[in-house]
Amino acid sequence: MRVGREAAYDAIVIGGGHNGLTTAAYLARAGRSVLVLERRHLVGGSTVTEEMYPGFKFSVLSYVVSLLRPEIIRELDLPRHGLEILPLESTFTPLPNGDRLTRWADHDQTRREIYRHSPLDADAYDRFGQLMYRMALAVKPILAMVPPDPTSLSPKDLRGLLRLGRHFRDLGEADFFMLYKLMTMSSADFLDEWFETDALKATMSASGIIGTFLGPRSPGTAYVQLHHYMGEIDGAFRAWGFARGGTGAVAESIASAARSLGVTIRVNAAVARVIVRGGRAVGVALEDGEEIRGRTVVSGLDPRLTFLNLVDETDLPREFVDSIRRYRSVGSSGKVNLALGELPDFTSLPGDGDHLRGAISISPSQDYLERAYDDAKYGEFSRRPYMDVIIPSLIDPGMAPPGKHVMSCFVQYAPFALNGGWNDEKRKAFGDTVIDTLSEYAPNLRNAIIHRQVVTPQDMEDEFGLTGGNIFHGELSLQQLFFLRPAPRWANYRTPMRGFYLCGSGTHPGGGICGGPGRLAALEILRGGAR
Amino acid sequence: MSRSYDAVVIGAGHNGLVTSAYLARAGLSVLVVEQRSRVGGGASSEELFPGFSFDTGTHRAAKLHPSVASDLNLRSHGLEMVRADPALFVPDGEGRHLLLGGSASATADSIRTFSAADAGRWADFEAFTGMVAGFLSSVFSIEPPEIPDPSRSGMAALGRLGLGLRKLGRREMEEVVRVLPMSCLELLDEWFESEPLRGALAGISVQGGAHGPMATGTAFNLFRGAAESGSGSPTALVRPRGGVGRLSEALASAARAAGVEIRTDRTVKHVLLDAGRAAGVVLEDGTEISARTVASGVGPGVTLLGLSDPASLDPEFVRSLRAVRYRGATAKVHLALGELPRFEGAPSAEAHLGGAISISPSLQYVERASDAAKYGSVSEAPYLEAVIPTVSEPDLAPEGKHAMSVLVQYAPYHLRESSWNAAASEALGDTVVQTLGRFAPNLPDAVEARHVLTPAGMEDKWGLQEGSVFQGEMTLDQFFFARPVAGWARYRTPIAGLYLCGTGTHPGGGLTGTCGYLAARRILKDAKGQR
Repeated sequence: MRVGREAAYDAIVIGGGHNGLTTAAYLARAGRSVLVLERRHLVGGSTVTEEMYPGFKFSVLSYVVSLLRPEIIRELDLPRHGLEILPLESTFTPLPNGDRLTRWADHDQTRREIYRHSPLDADAYDRFGQLMYRMALAVKPILAMVPPDPTSLSPKDLRGLLRLGRHFRDLGEADFFMLYKLMTMSSADFLDEWFETDALKATMSASGIIGTFLGPRSPGTAYVQLHHYMGEIDGAFRAWGFARGGTGAVAESIASAARSLGVTIRVNAAVARVIVRGGRAVGVALEDGEEIRGRTVVSGLDPRLTFLNLVDETDLPREFVDSIRRYRSVGSSGKVNLALGELPDFTSLPGDGDHLRGAISISPSQDYLERAYDDAKYGEFSRRPYMDVIIPSLIDPGMAPPGKHVMSCFVQYAPFALNGGWNDEKRKAFGDTVIDTLSEYAPNLRNAIIHRQVVTPQDMEDEFGLTGGNIFHGELSLQQLFFLRPAPRWANYRTPMRGFYLCGSGTHPGGGICGGPGRLAALEILRGGAR
Repeated sequence: MSRSYDAVVIGAGHNGLVTSAYLARAGLSVLVVEQRSRVGGGASSEELFPGFSFDTGTHRAAKLHPSVASDLNLRSHGLEMVRADPALFVPDGEGRHLLLGGSASATADSIRTFSAADAGRWADFEAFTGMVAGFLSSVFSIEPPEIPDPSRSGMAALGRLGLGLRKLGRREMEEVVRVLPMSCLELLDEWFESEPLRGALAGISVQGGAHGPMATGTAFNLFRGAAESGSGSPTALVRPRGGVGRLSEALASAARAAGVEIRTDRTVKHVLLDAGRAAGVVLEDGTEISARTVASGVGPGVTLLGLSDPASLDPEFVRSLRAVRYRGATAKVHLALGELPRFEGAPSAEAHLGGAISISPSLQYVERASDAAKYGSVSEAPYLEAVIPTVSEPDLAPEGKHAMSVLVQYAPYHLRESSWNAAASEALGDTVVQTLGRFAPNLPDAVEARHVLTPAGMEDKWGLQEGSVFQGEMTLDQFFFARPVAGWARYRTPIAGLYLCGTGTHPGGGLTGTCGYLAARRILKDAKGQR
């Protein structure tokens, strides 16, 4: 056993994902000495860009940015560290009948397009947008607060609850009721109250199923839809963006900010376990045996991986371990990244055009999404999956060699618990299904493919440490949100082990390239004191 | 014929009868107007074939609201509740079966034939559902406070609920909050592995709704069932001796004893308004009945959009009312049997048929049954719950014969390919008999007569909008302060003097009489305030 090559750090952060890096940067900003340990050869976790094939750079897992908290961009001065977000301005939904539905950055153009499908929907669309904006504003302060524990009688928690109660009351009846509906309804039902165009409803409700193991008709999905409205780029809600250089550039800019604040980042440094002395976390042991001391240890990994792998269960209260075991982290999505010799040519809107510069959504109808879910419920990947596709090389030419392209396909549903388990053959079949599906809309795609990378939920667990392949570090279901995330009593980034904190997406406010958990965790650590 | 009453109640369903009885006990002159020739609405026993009596609506009764049971002294009006033992017989389709709801040890023994682990957890599970049901009962038994801005008394009521929750213990409080929004699948994954047990509980969790057990919010129905059964166990089955209709008859008798006048075969055409205030009702035959208070036991949509003039209501209110989701997916099939069904591998004695028979060999079976309904067709292999009351009460059928009442899920009100015409209805009957025949091969030939009640039939027969047996889905977004619509959960309507008292109001659900009881209290309180 080797002794650490450096003296004790104030804080050791396990995992160099975007939340871990954010925590590290905020701690260093407050004068703490911080070490980040990343198992892989690069930082970013699920927020990485990798040159998988010469000249072709893939945002391997997460691929768009919108949820990143603006205060983080500001406080860490990320643009100075290379963060540049290019807007993804449109959503193009090709339809099997040769028609299409496209929503553009230009409001009037979108309105005309929706009007073509339904004049009623064109009117409703504006009002719906205003409503969601209000709802996002209503939820924003909740996302930015450390969840109070309603079972606690401590003055701090009671103050938090009171603040929350006042917030709800101040919303007024109409907005409060709407928020309640969003928290409890299905995205399909919620949208049915507003719109009649199937493709519009399907494309909008798709954001309610992302990362969940639910269909758009299951209650609970309206909230996930709202969660995806929380994005704020330059003050504009619901704007999605693509980071120049791929999503890895987001992590790299935070890493750069962290380094400039004095954070030490080590890659190829896999943590084997947390060292505990007298019930307190005092450091970590790496897989190669090296031990490093830290006064505080923070895990950016998901709660299950953190508490069931890095810590000896006997060092934790049994009830807590039970809670973590029950914490659901079931993956439902895969990722297919393609290197293309030419752009896809969509039957419903031929040629190269602005519609390829935004999101391309394979979500022709609500039934289509629901049937995709049906397959997954019974342990198969969708025969015809929902897909959210972008072509980053059109927005940032540096992502592919000249004249060539990269295409990122987020694919749902692909259940982690596939019947018979995932293997190379199933991975290939899954990739083929994705290509077959896309080729129905863009027939030239099949022959345009130079390379293809297929990431299954099993791969997400094996390669990226996402338990169950869940992209949010655990489902965003009501029973795993706010003061219940990841476990009751421990939603304040602390853990039952003194000196040990959580800062990943498995804590409030949850997943996406958001940074909220990392920032709030750092602020709580700086407040000090365990409960 | 024209007369004046203090109050007129529309519909002699069990809630309408409860309301009428309480109003009369407070000294009001009360008339109940019932469209059919018998009282009871969906809580009726009818002789469909000579000598065969069936519970044509629900065949499950419930524990009455404690005040109703004691105040109305229903025992003296002939009501005798019987608890089935065992409550649930679940054939697995492969020659084995599960018997639930007998003594704890007998149930555990039965579960043990499928899983020793599950057998060991059953007692804990029942204690757990009992604990959650205890809290739910306290929510069910009060008028919802004005959320988000409660009055002083509303605040006190909320405080009492919170205190009741806190008194359960901190861990228990966390658990209640955590499990209520779950899907049945998520809940059962934490408890059980054996499929017939999961299937049986899944069946209970979907009765009367349109969702499958994998949909968020279905666990709630399991706890609701546990609360309504009065035993804390979700599988318990209570019914009045002689049939569910006996409950309605006892209530009618108690109401009459309190001075209520009940007129059957009279249909209300619309609510009479005077200067925007309810002033009575007009019958189909033109008769005007004036009353200062009108309480409607029919659903919120039927009452306010059908029996009242929507143009007289605030458009936003009308919009919320139209957004109430009904979408019944429950049908009933009534079979006159020449002999009892013989289930493969079941004992020759008939004790196992004394409760309900659940055709739910696995949770997936129930979920698959729900899939068809999402796309507007009837399940080919539906979830069924059948009762044969003649096993314990032979006089409900001719000697040696039996009456079997079958609840069927899923038969959606909205069929895509056809309407609920005679052919669709007969096809449903065939499906049900064939499905039963797969488990009890002698059954198809034992059927001497058959009666099918489709969701459209329920709408015609009982005025249940879209065939929703609960006058609106029992989902979290349509619960408590949001039932029937948010802001109008206190039995009042925007039309002064017009109240709702049916199961479309809080707490909804089964035959507890609570809606009727709380509505009567609200009416009396308001009347007192006016004097």
